[in-house]
Amino acid sequence: MQNVYFDLTEELNAEGPIAVLASGQAVVFYRLALMSKDGDWLLRETPDACRRALAVLGRHGARYRPGAPLDVRWLSGGWSSHFEFSDPQGHRIRCDFVSRPPRVSLEEVAALFSPSREPEPMLVVGVEPLIRMKQTQRAKDYPVIGELARLLPPEREVELTTDPDRVLALAPVYGKDSGRLPVRAARSGGSREDVVIELAREADRLQQEDRARIERYRAASDAYLHEVQAARIGDLALPDAHTRICEIAERWLPYNPLETGD
Amino acid sequence: MEMLSEDDLNLKEMTPEELDRAWDLWFTLAQATNDFDPPYTHGVFVLSHLDPEPPPPAEAQADRGDQAAGKK
Repeated sequence: MQNVYFDLTEELNAEGPIAVLASGQAVVFYRLALMSKDGDWLLRETPDACRRALAVLGRHGARYRPGAPLDVRWLSGGWSSHFEFSDPQGHRIRCDFVSRPPRVSLEEVAALFSPSREPEPMLVVGVEPLIRMKQTQRAKDYPVIGELARLLPPEREVELTTDPDRVLALAPVYGKDSGRLPVRAARSGGSREDVVIELAREADRLQQEDRARIERYRAASDAYLHEVQAARIGDLALPDAHTRICEIAERWLPYNPLETGD
Repeated sequence: MEMLSEDDLNLKEMTPEELDRAWDLWFTLAQATNDFDPPYTHGVFVLSHLDPEPPPPAEAQADRGDQAAGKK
């Protein structure tokens, strides 16, 4: 059996590119680790892409998990949509979608769906945006970033690696213009411990920034999630569930909590 | 001496078929922990906390009550 999430990526893109595989399954695609039981995709931010993704999910008997509607009004505000179904072998398949991944620019996302992009058998997010998506509050993502960074050219690896030994090895040649503190520590004759400390400070700052961002979404979604749960959206077939969850979101979920000035 | 660990899977050296088989085995084994997984592990809902499950509809509750009382 091929990775079910690779199959789903092909199925989602069968009528044209709408979904780019990201996060843990992209790490599997790059052959760095077998990780993550879920599938994550960057969805093209159009109503047609949402309709097509819902149609694919519906064919698999997917149900909504608590999350935002798969609708551009909320996806464009940074919300994520979550689904689940069982495959014929009884495996639990979870599918997560965003259209505005954190720390990735709109231009980079648009480029993923550019008509000028070379046709590829499997649409997978590039290594550098994948690294920035992985700069989350979870400590387990940072060793993965170090491995992903090894796939980059050295002048970019030195800017993104979380491996102190790689910083020490690359900084003398490729870190001349870097403003990154671990690289500057290495170039200024700092010890390995100095580099390790700067990397730890950097990771902690990234984790805190991500947590603060997510907290804004959590605060904005509490009442909404309560309503979604009370409506037992997960018990409804997908077309009905989608209609109902949109109705609830229209009442309870702001399009973009980062713009409310809270 | 090579150590046998996850690091020695060396995924890059696998053929596509070997990688598929490795994934298949890993994914099947990983299903064992489904019941212990947090409801949210991704996206902007990762910090959200759900209320306890709402009670099932009245009809289902009545059915359960009948079963508890030994009714068919």
